[in-house]
Amino acid sequence: MSGGEFDRWLGPRSEDGLAGLDWLETKRAAARSQVRDQGIPTTKQEAWRYTSVKRLMEQGFVPADEPITALEPEDIEEVLIPGVVSHRVVLVNGRFLPGLSELGELPPGVRIGGLQQILKSDPDALRDRVNGVAGDDQSLFAALNTAGMDDGLVILLDRGAVLTQPVELIHLSVGMDEPRVAQPRHIVSLDDGAQATLIERYLSLGESLYCTNSVMEISVGRDGVLKHQRIQDESPYAFHITGLYLSLGQGSRYAGVNVGLGGAWARTDCRVRFAGEHAECDLQGLYLAGDRQLLDYHLDVDHRLPQCTSRENFKGILYGKGRAVFDGRVYVAKDAQKTDAAMSNRNLLLSDGAEVDTKPQLEINADDVKCSHGTTVGQLEPEMLFYLRSRGINAPLARRMLCLGFAGEILDVLEPEPLRERVADQVGQRLEQAPLA
Amino acid sequence: MLSVKGLKANVGDKEILKGLDLEIGPGEVHAIMGPNGSGKSTFAHVLSGREGYEVTEGSVIFEGRDLLELEPEERAHLGLFLAFQYPVELPGVNNTYFLKAALNSIRKSRGETELDAISFLRLMKEKLKVLHLDDSLLKRPVNFGFSGGEKKRNEIFQMALLEPKLAILDETDSGLDIDALRIVADGVNALRSPERSMIVVTHYQRLLDYIQPDYVHVLARGRIIRSGGKDLALELEKRGYGWITGEEEAA
Repeated sequence: MSGGEFDRWLGPRSEDGLAGLDWLETKRAAARSQVRDQGIPTTKQEAWRYTSVKRLMEQGFVPADEPITALEPEDIEEVLIPGVVSHRVVLVNGRFLPGLSELGELPPGVRIGGLQQILKSDPDALRDRVNGVAGDDQSLFAALNTAGMDDGLVILLDRGAVLTQPVELIHLSVGMDEPRVAQPRHIVSLDDGAQATLIERYLSLGESLYCTNSVMEISVGRDGVLKHQRIQDESPYAFHITGLYLSLGQGSRYAGVNVGLGGAWARTDCRVRFAGEHAECDLQGLYLAGDRQLLDYHLDVDHRLPQCTSRENFKGILYGKGRAVFDGRVYVAKDAQKTDAAMSNRNLLLSDGAEVDTKPQLEINADDVKCSHGTTVGQLEPEMLFYLRSRGINAPLARRMLCLGFAGEILDVLEPEPLRERVADQVGQRLEQAPLA
Repeated sequence: MLSVKGLKANVGDKEILKGLDLEIGPGEVHAIMGPNGSGKSTFAHVLSGREGYEVTEGSVIFEGRDLLELEPEERAHLGLFLAFQYPVELPGVNNTYFLKAALNSIRKSRGETELDAISFLRLMKEKLKVLHLDDSLLKRPVNFGFSGGEKKRNEIFQMALLEPKLAILDETDSGLDIDALRIVADGVNALRSPERSMIVVTHYQRLLDYIQPDYVHVLARGRIIRSGGKDLALELEKRGYGWITGEEEAA
């Protein structure tokens, strides 16, 4: 079998909003041949050892090329979080919908919009940015995204531009009669000294079956600051693939929180490259997986330059027959002295049927570094449960309180407060429904 | 209020309680003393419903109900409270949130309305005042990183808030210096009332200088072998347990 099995994801399409850009067509053509040349990932490959793509292939997804125009602002009211004041960008099935978005007033030096929209007004704006961070040599799903992209979120901040309000990307998916795959490409580019906060929320309308194969390329220039909070809370039938590519300039700071709650099958690949010294990268994550759910995280943090700091702290709660994979790799090159890296993955298993495969790896080739990694897989302490129950708290609530306590370290990083509360509620609700065995 | 008859209990294959009898009336404070390994803590745990103890014989009736049939939370709903010898740390669980969840669980079980955030805070303040405590423990995770004294104070604060009918204080004096002991004992004394009974489990007479019991029982080898007034505690202090257990006790 070859990656060509996924050719259906690429067309034919009824329309192509990005046609006519030569530079893009060249990249897409190269990506198409990469898709054809690559094999289907198998569990014999290290990166896919614990995750089979069989379920994904069986769905027979075709491109989500029908624009969803029927949605009115009232339809998305319940997904909005009161108290979160943001530059709001709404994508439905991968397409930017200006009618639902509310960009508000943007300070000078800031451009935010849909990929098609930006390219229509400035065809060369993204010439160097598409694949600029992800690179041209791509693995299967990134290549599929490059070949199949037709829209996405674009955030461009000029040198020194500062956004005080967060940008909120709401990515909504609606199921169609035939299962669809949307392949949005998001470009976030902060020039030197620019600062922004991005909230990314992946949500479904109804219990839809679909796939989102997104790629986000983030570059933060010298001394830039990006706070990035990503919440995946999709339908129990959703397939979700994310490639997150980061390039961090000298003295820049990136703080990312990745919360995965929903979906049937979700794969996240996060690749971090430092483009200058004294950069800091903080990756926090929380995942909850129950029956018929697989959440798979791969982190690849490459310290090629000296004096950079990275933190990888992921926590997982597994219940029912839920499954998760954590594969974190921190590489420190020979010349990357004074690297400071700490990776941690802790898991709570609430049932015998739940499973997590965790594989933190540290590869250190420099001698003057501070690096650590640790992983735990445990259950709720009977002592703790008894303590709560002895105070009149019933067993299900006691379990929920302890799980939320475990997750609290990550949830507490989320801001603003209404977002933290919404996500904590969603975590609580999922735990409430969790079977106890 | 509490009637224990012929209680036998095992931990694993080992019989720890070997026929324990105890009657407690409303408002009474009973001290249970005894050498190490006599079954004092086992008794406290069996009453509170902790796992790992098997009751093989006997009965425990509390407020007219068969206590041994109930889940730990149901015992708490009936008005039973165990102040732990080693209070459990709950990282990430905020103390105020925990106290509110506990109080509202108990109120709900009794068909009372749950307290909203404001009424709850008001009640907490009131209770802090009664016990002469400050609110610094309330913002932290339950017992997490607390000193020994702070943990015990937190237990007594929970007791004040949950207003049990029967409180079991399991070696509340262990690990406390004399100042911390006094604070905890003052708290307990402030909570004494004609409706509230207490079982004070302790190895040393010291605690009973501060919390004066109505009755003192000596537990040895899984049975109560002697009962008396508070003078019995003083005598034990003077003469050691060997005097009644017939064994030499290592000091």
